[in-house]
Amino acid sequence: MPLRLIFVLSLLTGVFASASGAIAADGKLQEVTFKNGAKLIVEEDHSAPVAMVQVWLKVGGRDEVPGKTGLAHVFEHMMFKGSKKLAAGEFSKRIAAMGGRDNAFTTTDYTAFFETVPAARVGEVIGMEAERFSHLALRDKDYQKEIRVIMEERRMRTEDDPNSHMFEELSAVSLRLHPYRNPVIGWMQDLKKLSIEDVRAFYKLHYVPGNATVVVVGDVDFKQVKKRVAATFGKMKARPIAPRFNPTEPEPFGPKRIEVKLPAQLPMLAVTIPVPVWKPGHNDIEAASLALATHILSGGRSGRMNRQLVDEQRLAFSVGAGYDEASMGLDLWYAYGMLGPKQTTAAFEKGLWTLLDQMAKTPVSAKELAAAKRNITAAEVFAQDSLYLRAKRIGHLEVVGIGANNRDKWLQAIGRVTPADIQQAVARWLRRDRSTTGILTPEAKS
Amino acid sequence: MRISMRIRFAIPCMAFVLFMCAAITPAQAVPPIQQQRLPNGMRVLLMEAHNVPMVSMKLSLAGGSRFDAAGKGGTASLLADMISDHTARHAHPVWDDLLDADAIKLGAGAGRDDFSLGLTVLKDALKPGLDAFSEALLQPGWDQKRFAILKHDAISAARKSREEPGVRAAQAAAALLFAHHPYGHRPGGTVKSLQRIKLDDLKALYAAQVKPSGAVLAVSGDITMAELLPLLKSRLKGWRGKPATGLMDISRPAGVAGKQADVALPTTQMLVQLLRLGPSRSDADFFPAFVLNHILGSGGFASRLMQEVREDRGLVYGVYSYFQPLAAPGPFVITLQTRADQAKEAESVVRHVLSDMAAGHISNKQLKAATENLTGSFAQRMDSNRERVGLISMIGLYNLPLDYLSSWTARVQAVTLAQVKAQAAKYLKPEAWNRVRVGPKSALN
Repeated sequence: MPLRLIFVLSLLTGVFASASGAIAADGKLQEVTFKNGAKLIVEEDHSAPVAMVQVWLKVGGRDEVPGKTGLAHVFEHMMFKGSKKLAAGEFSKRIAAMGGRDNAFTTTDYTAFFETVPAARVGEVIGMEAERFSHLALRDKDYQKEIRVIMEERRMRTEDDPNSHMFEELSAVSLRLHPYRNPVIGWMQDLKKLSIEDVRAFYKLHYVPGNATVVVVGDVDFKQVKKRVAATFGKMKARPIAPRFNPTEPEPFGPKRIEVKLPAQLPMLAVTIPVPVWKPGHNDIEAASLALATHILSGGRSGRMNRQLVDEQRLAFSVGAGYDEASMGLDLWYAYGMLGPKQTTAAFEKGLWTLLDQMAKTPVSAKELAAAKRNITAAEVFAQDSLYLRAKRIGHLEVVGIGANNRDKWLQAIGRVTPADIQQAVARWLRRDRSTTGILTPEAKS
Repeated sequence: MRISMRIRFAIPCMAFVLFMCAAITPAQAVPPIQQQRLPNGMRVLLMEAHNVPMVSMKLSLAGGSRFDAAGKGGTASLLADMISDHTARHAHPVWDDLLDADAIKLGAGAGRDDFSLGLTVLKDALKPGLDAFSEALLQPGWDQKRFAILKHDAISAARKSREEPGVRAAQAAAALLFAHHPYGHRPGGTVKSLQRIKLDDLKALYAAQVKPSGAVLAVSGDITMAELLPLLKSRLKGWRGKPATGLMDISRPAGVAGKQADVALPTTQMLVQLLRLGPSRSDADFFPAFVLNHILGSGGFASRLMQEVREDRGLVYGVYSYFQPLAAPGPFVITLQTRADQAKEAESVVRHVLSDMAAGHISNKQLKAATENLTGSFAQRMDSNRERVGLISMIGLYNLPLDYLSSWTARVQAVTLAQVKAQAAKYLKPEAWNRVRVGPKSALN
């Protein structure tokens, strides 16, 4: 039972629910940056007459000020509420009429808008994206309806989901400064206080061409797309780019823990630890080692957590761990276990730390490492199967500052990692003294 | 890092909508589906795609949850867990190491009609992948200890899932809509039904239904039929026989109207589902009903329900409709979640849309928009191996014509306004719908 932790909020649920990143079959990226700072990255793939258009913004939850959490995500919703040329809802209707699908997502680090369309309509879509980007209507009456929709979204995703609710609390306690401590959807009390003026101010400050990257993957010609983007995003007036909030998280002084009591059926325990993200050319081996360690713990069928904690020691019925090397500033590494009726959080916690301590003391076997590398590489090939994931990987690497042109270096780094590297990375970062533990305790039901 | 966990029940729901949409239309030439029949009766359907060095496949046969013995809901689902867990030749941990060494993605599952075994591999691991696939299929291990562990974990997961409004609604909906019909429970089963299952139940289901006659292997990827067939023949030659019950051997559910079921759960929202029976996969009016549903609530933001309930009133984050076309009529569902004190208002908006459409208030413009969206989006619904395999296996299992895809555009475009209105009159009268609500006790009045 995969229980993936995610921080992406979409306009509609579940449209795309698949896995990790991608590298293209031919791997060739073509890019251009316009004078006003807007950027275009294209990957041509002529195997089917479709294309994915994504507009990525270097704006996310981290760019909100305290008391106004949720604003970046509110804004994402407002992008569908009309512009100078398009009435509210018109954008999606036009995309639908051309046989396309559209959606958007917001995280702490970025906001992205995307459309899958027949390749022949790419130019038109880019024009529509540019139009709403620069001429958004932002009417109060639309806002008043949309903020209610977003509160329902929060109730559905967080309030009424005990696991999700616990993770929100755990994240808030795990970090003192870094913006990953705030929920992307925003705290309910903040949502209640936001106004259309907040949204307008956010738009003015952040929706500037220098923050925009257009990514197109599919059956297109770079030269033609470039011409089109030059005439739209490339023509917008250059405006100053606000610096991003990316503070240095203070080093933890010792373990922290919280207990969250909610109406639930069964307990769960999760551990978070701040770890470094990938900085190409600076810490390739360290980041790749963390990714491989995480895979050896919870990836594939033979992950150690599953084998030892679930199958052998019977300490949980479902487990998982996660690391995202392409986070911004730091990543909040996590591991969790869902516990059955007779399984205790204390025993699971002990078992988990025994596993981690063991990895810090003993090198992983060559066979285990080879399988992990093979699976991470295979996952990148499987992900090429989806235009969405390919474009997403490009946009993501670009807006967090890693750079899409570095993407092939990730697998190269994975390939170079040795058992000693993994041991060292685990010993250095995945330590109890740096961790926060969260326990979901089922509350007596009303 | 990720702060919220995705609501698990929402995914199957939407995935299902996509599956329905996936059954769409070629605006451009579709690669043909190639067909071969093995001597044992199994059909192989292949769509070639050479752009990524990988191969995906799925074997589907009549062995889903409708074959679970009475009171033992979850049997087919546990068989799926078991069959992919180990084999007679390879014990559990060794089997996992073997598959991971070659990045072989092997998994089994159970729907209401179908039992399936899926494989995704890199092209260069095709042979070991097919070895594993056929070994799992033909040489089950039936290890009693592993069964006890898998069963125990399934029971814990079923208990945990009682936290989820969507799961609770689906359970109540199956019982309300199908009563004692074989479709009357969720494939995953419940804590109680799982507790009753014994290893012999899995063996009995396997012996009765996991047979090549009527089975379909759908394949998409970097391979040709000439390469594939010999690899399959040599590995599946010992597999013979006919299932005890065929896919189409199923009674028509009786159908109910105006019934209600409420489930109390301490949530802030109320989940409201309206349900009735929808068309079966072989329904003569499948296409008009399909287009009708797109207009009603599966066309995303362009749908009537989304417009009225979300866009005009801000009552929900999402409201969707879908029907599940099975061997017999399956569920037709409208689902939404809203703050508990708004549930009555939201439900009345939905009922108003139903009655309005049932009375024939559907415009040519709406039909045109739906048809354009459906036909235009065909290519992108088929742009991955995973999507193609899902589509081809559905065509194969339900014995739809092999030109199903290439004739889709024409059939969707041929749907007239009069036909859609006739389907609306048939399906959308509000009094014919049943209701399930999941939410706080205080609001369930």
